[in-house]
Amino acid sequence: MSPLLKLTSVTKSFGAVRALKGVSFDLRAGEVHALLGENGAGKSTLIKVIAGAHQPDGGTLEIGGQRVTQLTPQAAHRLGIACIYQQPALFPDLKVSENIGLRLEPISLLRRINWAARRERAAQLLQRLGADISPDAEAGSLSMPEQQLVEIACALGAGARIVIMDEPTASLTQTEQHRLFAVVRDLRADGVGVIYISHRLDEIFALADRVTVLRDGESVGTRDVVARPSSVVRRVPNERSARPHPGPLPQGEEVSQPATGLTKHATFADPLTTILPLPAGEGRGQGERVLEPAGLSDSSPPPITESELIRLMVGREVSSIYPAAESEPGEVVLSLRELGCTASGVKKITLDLRAGEIVGLAGLVGAGRTELARVLFGLTPADSGEIQLNGHPVSIRSPQEAVTQGIAYVPEDRRRHGVILEMPIAHNLTMAIHPRLFPGTWLRFGAERTHALEAMHDLAVKAAGPDALGGSLSGGNQQKVALARWLATRPRVLILDEPTQGVDVGAKSEIHKIIRRLAQEGMAVLLISSDLPEVLGMSDRIAVMRGGEIVAMMPGGSDAHAVMAAALGQDRGES
Amino acid sequence: MSFRFPKSAVLRHEAILLLVLVLEVVFFRVAGRNFGTVDNVANIVRHSVEIGLLALVMMPVILTGGIDLSVGSLLGLCAVLFGKLWRDAGLPWEVAALTTLGLGALAGGFNAALITGLRLPPLIVTLGTYSLFRGLAEAITHGTDAFTRFPETFLFLGTGRIAGVPTQAWIFVVLAIAVWLLVHRTTFGRSWRAIGFSPEGARYAGLSVGRRLTFAYVLAGLMAGLAAITYTARFGTAKADAGTGYELAAITAVVLGGTSIFGGVGSVHGTLLGVAAIAVLSNGLSRLPATMSNAAELSGLLTGVLLIVALAGGALPGWIAARRGRRNATPSVPATSGV
Repeated sequence: MSPLLKLTSVTKSFGAVRALKGVSFDLRAGEVHALLGENGAGKSTLIKVIAGAHQPDGGTLEIGGQRVTQLTPQAAHRLGIACIYQQPALFPDLKVSENIGLRLEPISLLRRINWAARRERAAQLLQRLGADISPDAEAGSLSMPEQQLVEIACALGAGARIVIMDEPTASLTQTEQHRLFAVVRDLRADGVGVIYISHRLDEIFALADRVTVLRDGESVGTRDVVARPSSVVRRVPNERSARPHPGPLPQGEEVSQPATGLTKHATFADPLTTILPLPAGEGRGQGERVLEPAGLSDSSPPPITESELIRLMVGREVSSIYPAAESEPGEVVLSLRELGCTASGVKKITLDLRAGEIVGLAGLVGAGRTELARVLFGLTPADSGEIQLNGHPVSIRSPQEAVTQGIAYVPEDRRRHGVILEMPIAHNLTMAIHPRLFPGTWLRFGAERTHALEAMHDLAVKAAGPDALGGSLSGGNQQKVALARWLATRPRVLILDEPTQGVDVGAKSEIHKIIRRLAQEGMAVLLISSDLPEVLGMSDRIAVMRGGEIVAMMPGGSDAHAVMAAALGQDRGES
Repeated sequence: MSFRFPKSAVLRHEAILLLVLVLEVVFFRVAGRNFGTVDNVANIVRHSVEIGLLALVMMPVILTGGIDLSVGSLLGLCAVLFGKLWRDAGLPWEVAALTTLGLGALAGGFNAALITGLRLPPLIVTLGTYSLFRGLAEAITHGTDAFTRFPETFLFLGTGRIAGVPTQAWIFVVLAIAVWLLVHRTTFGRSWRAIGFSPEGARYAGLSVGRRLTFAYVLAGLMAGLAAITYTARFGTAKADAGTGYELAAITAVVLGGTSIFGGVGSVHGTLLGVAAIAVLSNGLSRLPATMSNAAELSGLLTGVLLIVALAGGALPGWIAARRGRRNATPSVPATSGV
């Protein structure tokens, strides 16, 4: 039987950035296929290709055995592909039945709406999902999971054969998750193929039949998953009571899965298999070990284990390619004491940052790393705790105050925040040093040009010239401009947020060298990165954040698995 | 010193506008009566100074991506306040005028506080104060009171000449140069442009977005106060309806002058060309011979046509390209139901 969906060697580039470098992927009817990967690994691009939002540059896409080219979102919808995003896209002021009707009914000025039929259909779809939602409720009044169910109802109503779910449980509580899992299982039983994206390994083991791991735009493996019997979780000694049950127990249709799969591989050999996330401050290395009989299997390939999954995700890059520190860190420059900001969810951050030191902030998207940076830069000022610079408490209520105090922040989203795309490079480069470069507010074009040429030379920015627009640059060169703008302020503390995201390999290593050089010159660097090898390789110390808190401090060059395990942490579903 | 606009389209737009202006002048010199006389040129200047002043400060506001609909109403309010201060409070007109400028700036500050403090959209805020200021002016005069019989020294501002040039033209020239320098040669202009392109980007660059925006709106208020003075001096009367509709005329001039309503792009000289193109058109139409006398009524119509043609002309190439691109990207999906 041909798969529902088959992608072969799909490539996709955005400018100089190669988001997908030949990914092959297939989805069978009646399976849940998990898609896993670090941030920026290419998951979103892949699902956007499948949903018709992006056109692939190369490779083939087959849907239901037929080759499809020039897929648009409308065509994908017609072909039975439905996407359910983390944030449901319903019209909040319309009723549930109206939302469903809008998606499913043909649009025509002349058509009269059969309100009764529309309501009836909505009620049926919701009932099929076992959802206790009134078709007359306003969509905006529903909870997040209820809205997701409505989205799923739309997918069902459209006769979707391929359902893509992008981190659907991110905002769900435990109970809501279980409901969702049950729905996903029903979809699977009906022969729908589900592409399930999640960071949470327990979900993948509870739900998925197969998993594909993406890394750096490449598929590093598609493997069978065998549902983890609940006994594994329960058998773990010292299990913290805080850890809730990871999901409904596999049953029903999963009986068809070989339950013996769990023991098919050497769990023994890998201690990380059972490292469970530890509560804050516990550090690593205390992972509980499950002693499983390491029964060997003759069937190939064996189902994947949690440790293998993590290893596939983080890759095997060695830290030696990163420039090493050559000097000892100096005095403490920045000191945070129980720093918190209710509005952005940053909680009780205590951290010291020394001159000449690179401290990496690791964690998943939403762990609070960017939020912490925004607090330090005065974009969302702190409302509790203390910030000390060189031993003196300071108040940072605005970016201007942060700049005055010698804090610079190179933001994550360089196209929106890092560089003003419509302005020339020279203007971008001098934007943070207006008072110094233009005393008395008069622009000095000569001085500006000189400064721009020097800065561009220093960081080897490749551009037509200082008059070229920021938007004309490649990602890496934009990043260099964003960085150079802040280096010009001669900061004491430099916060870098995803400095190499979407940057090609060459520029990436150049940026790494620049960062190390800056630290070497005595700058205190806070490096936020979702690129785990980068954090591990660049940082002198690593702070792992989760849920707005620092949950672990580790030395540089720490074990990737340990950092990942701490970042994945405990079940995030309990809100 | 080298100065470059971020977009060459701006230069092209200004060149087109200059051509339009030259064509207008040539046409009216040929077809109109007394169009080119010294008196008529002075007349054109006198009649367009207030709108010109408002356009000069509307330009930075629009450059930041904002808008100020309240300046026309504020002109009316300031005119009334000036009259009140001079006649009822008994202040010398010079003191009353300076106080009026201060009150205008204060009113601009009120707009700015709502926009930057409460983060309300400029369109909504100034739509509110557009009504508010006019309403206050009418309340102060009970809708009927008018201030007249100003001293000759004051009226000289609006009716006199210095070296053969209308007094207010000198004021306008000085301010036009000042605003040009402010926008094109100082960090204020640079910051306004950055805010117009990307308010968030400007904030992340450490620019004091709030203060820069406040300055633009305060400047607009200040200039509305000044325009109220020259307006009152020109007509010799201060009434609550002074400057009605001027905000739209100023916006028209700014947009016609190539400033993008989305912010970031534009020039003060473009705005000046925009003011001139509209002023010459409206005056020239009134100078046409009697057989074409109803042409004067065409003024508004032709201004509208000019604006739409000028803007559409700039947008047309992009639109055509986009259409062509879309047609080429029409999907070819096999109609399949066998999934």
